[in-house]
Amino acid sequence: MQISRRVFLHSAAAAAVLSPTPLFAEIGGQRIVSLDYGLASTLLSLGLPPVGISDLADWGRWVVEPPMPGSVVDIGSAYEVDFEVLLQLKPDIILTTPYLDELLPRLEPIAKVLRLEIFTPDGGPILPSSIAATRKLAAELGREREAELFLRRSDAFFDGCRARLAGRSIPPLALVSFMDARHARIYSAPGLFHNALERIGLSNAWTRQSNYWGFETIGIEDLSTITDPDARLIALEPVPSDVLPKLVESRLWQALPFSRPGHLSVIPPALMFGMVNEAVRFAGLVTDLLEQDA
Amino acid sequence: MNAVQRDNLGPAVFSLLLLCGGCLVSWLLVEPTLSGAVAPSYDIKHMVLYHSTLPRLATALIAGAALALSGALFQQVLRNPLADPTTLGVSAGANLALVVVSLFLPGLLGVGRDMVALLGSAVAAAIVIGLGARRGFSPFALVLSGLVLSLWCGGLAAILTYLSQRYLASLFIWGAGSLAQQSWVIPLSLLWKLGAVAFISTLVIRPLSLLDLGESSSVALGVRLARLRIVVVACAVALAAFVTSAVGVIGFIGLVAPTLARLCGARRPVQLIIWSPVIGAGLLFLADSVLQYVAGTLGDLLPTGAVTAIFGSPLLLALLPQLKIRHRIDQAAARQRSHPWSAKTLVIIAVVSFLILVAIALFVGRSPGGTWAVVSGEFFGDILEIRAPKVFAAFASGAMLGVAGLILQKLTGNEMASPEVLGISAGATFGVAIALFAIAPGFSGQFAFAVAGAVAVLAVILLSSRRSTFAPERVLLAGIALSAMVDAVVGVLSSTGDPRAVLLMRWMSGSTYLVNSTTAQVEVVIGAVLIAIALAARRWLDILPLGPAPSTAVGIPLARSRLMLFGLAGLMTAAATLTVGPLSFVGLMAPHFAREAGLTRARQQMIGAALIGGGLMVIADFVGRTIAAPYQIPAGLVSALLGAPCLMYLLSKRR
Repeated sequence: MQISRRVFLHSAAAAAVLSPTPLFAEIGGQRIVSLDYGLASTLLSLGLPPVGISDLADWGRWVVEPPMPGSVVDIGSAYEVDFEVLLQLKPDIILTTPYLDELLPRLEPIAKVLRLEIFTPDGGPILPSSIAATRKLAAELGREREAELFLRRSDAFFDGCRARLAGRSIPPLALVSFMDARHARIYSAPGLFHNALERIGLSNAWTRQSNYWGFETIGIEDLSTITDPDARLIALEPVPSDVLPKLVESRLWQALPFSRPGHLSVIPPALMFGMVNEAVRFAGLVTDLLEQDA
Repeated sequence: MNAVQRDNLGPAVFSLLLLCGGCLVSWLLVEPTLSGAVAPSYDIKHMVLYHSTLPRLATALIAGAALALSGALFQQVLRNPLADPTTLGVSAGANLALVVVSLFLPGLLGVGRDMVALLGSAVAAAIVIGLGARRGFSPFALVLSGLVLSLWCGGLAAILTYLSQRYLASLFIWGAGSLAQQSWVIPLSLLWKLGAVAFISTLVIRPLSLLDLGESSSVALGVRLARLRIVVVACAVALAAFVTSAVGVIGFIGLVAPTLARLCGARRPVQLIIWSPVIGAGLLFLADSVLQYVAGTLGDLLPTGAVTAIFGSPLLLALLPQLKIRHRIDQAAARQRSHPWSAKTLVIIAVVSFLILVAIALFVGRSPGGTWAVVSGEFFGDILEIRAPKVFAAFASGAMLGVAGLILQKLTGNEMASPEVLGISAGATFGVAIALFAIAPGFSGQFAFAVAGAVAVLAVILLSSRRSTFAPERVLLAGIALSAMVDAVVGVLSSTGDPRAVLLMRWMSGSTYLVNSTTAQVEVVIGAVLIAIALAARRWLDILPLGPAPSTAVGIPLARSRLMLFGLAGLMTAAATLTVGPLSFVGLMAPHFAREAGLTRARQQMIGAALIGGGLMVIADFVGRTIAAPYQIPAGLVSALLGAPCLMYLLSKRR
């Protein structure tokens, strides 16, 4: 059975939709606050919508899916959590990552803190780390069954993507976020997007290993080091408005294989600093794109 | 004629060396491509060579020439060997204008990127030169206000970027000046702009060189001074704006090239104006080709502009001893101001408004839904426990910065002097950067490194200015040169797009966020002790501004008293920076407001500056915490945003 990306990701938020408690939503007796987008979307998939998350205001800009239930409260930037709001949410559990370690001494008196490591200098590929972190989180919250179901569903989704693309000859893909008309961020191993590509049977055109978040900042001319003449370039939204018009003017760009019709595509935003749900969204977007084109 | 030929020989040989060096390294860059076989159909290597590598080298040559010409023009017309687009804040002004427009009015960029940059740099130049004119174009006053403006613009641009887009660091790269190119569009358009401005410059070379004879002689020879100055400054500003708009801020080339020209023997203004662009072109050409060569092996994107700043700012330090220093009397302090209120009334007003301020800051806030609310009920104690440390730490830091600023302004007789300018804040920032990037990012680690950085800079400043018996202006300029360097290093770190750069940016934006009750108590105690010491030294502060001769006459040991006062200001700055970040500008504003309130003696001014500085910081902290809740705007940024316009107004009002 094949599930669409929308169905997959929107089912994650179903638990919250079923119980429309306006403010201070409480499910399973655990009031959880997440200081990380990836962990927050994983919570939804475990059927435990958080009472508050950080950077909620930007959720629609970077994560998009799964949608956050309306009951969730914004507690400010992850780096500068609004402790006054956090306190009044009376959380039982706070989810955090190694980047926010400096907050630990102040979080610990408020609630039990679960610190999950996904992006670490020696953590290896991100998708496996995310799966491990999902299991660990589920074990701590007593949601092992839901986690296994969720992971099985995501596996099925990846397999579905792989099957949808099987039999087509798909060239290597280069994944970028344009920063301006001269620079881009390119995604490669060991990052989440790279792992997702490999999982659905595609290959990354950018073969060089990058930093442990899985990206590297390059000048556009560095794209010429991609030797495969059939390689396709996929840019993630948001693309700054002056980039595409300026690229067209560039002779170098015109000479790159990506400037040929159909070799540059722009897909909606997906979060590279995410977990399984974000990999699913990304894989789904790429698969949709490639299926449309062929 | 013989002497002139000899004077030209040095710069010519030097330019040739630079260009040859650049060509050699560039040859190493392009040689593998040229010698490789030409692929029949798809030959991307040659495309990269013709449309990326070569345009980039050309851009380096043109931008280097333009910036050096701009620097030479500035130096000649302002008769100031330290002037250049970086030290006058012109490049930073252009950069800030571009950042603001691209964030809030992106549509405008497509129409007129150059116009936006021009506007920004013109405003910056007008502010800096306007302030300088009131100090008789003293080299120090000019460069000091220019670098302050540079730092302010740079800080503001970075913070605005950080607040509005968390994951995209593009403007960091751009602010740090990357020369990467993908076509000939930029170098070609830059070339004709440089050509046009260079043509205008040749028309004014003769009157410009007459300026060396002194104002009255040049007027007697028929030079129309005002018109000449406007034309030359406009040329220099335009050059800087064009380069900034095309490739971002490239630091210090305009300072380095004319200096090198002078060192090689170019003495007459004509020679300086001709040779500086040539040397500048060679310099940036060499720097960028070396950088490309090195970066090619490292596989990293290093912004050229920030790298030139890292190497250029120490040169500023090295140049300092060449400047003639003349101590000026603090005109501001001599000014009396009649005031309707007596000192007693002033004190009562100050204390009452301070208490009201603290009460508001403590008890008013936003609830989770976002509505304004006075704390009460279940969370009363807990919320006060969160707010009180911030309020008191903000007050203590603001008070310390205010007093430190007062000390520095009294010592230097320069109204643009402030603790931020000393470079101590920059040292602390650098410490935090090292802690974040080289070692594990724990809070206590960052704290220790910030202290170490602040102390190190303080030591360097004091040691390097010992020879000049701590001549105040030299100390300040040394400090700000260090700030510029630290800024450049941070720029390089940020442009890598590493998420840790966000942590650094947040720290630099001056947030009271990390303050807890322990740090607040420590801060308050340190503040109280240091301000008490400063009050004990009030006699020095009353007498030292009168000048070295009167001070020695009444028996004040010049070097020792200056050392102690600088040390005191440094300690206060370090302590305050740790909680409110390096860019608050409270130390610049509070002493001005104290003087405006009619306080004249050192003791009154000190108490006034402490209360006003503390009050400003409390207001800034309150506004920053509540205005966009639950998102926090750093107190340092708020105070800089609120304070800078006030300051500009005060400065323009006073004559």
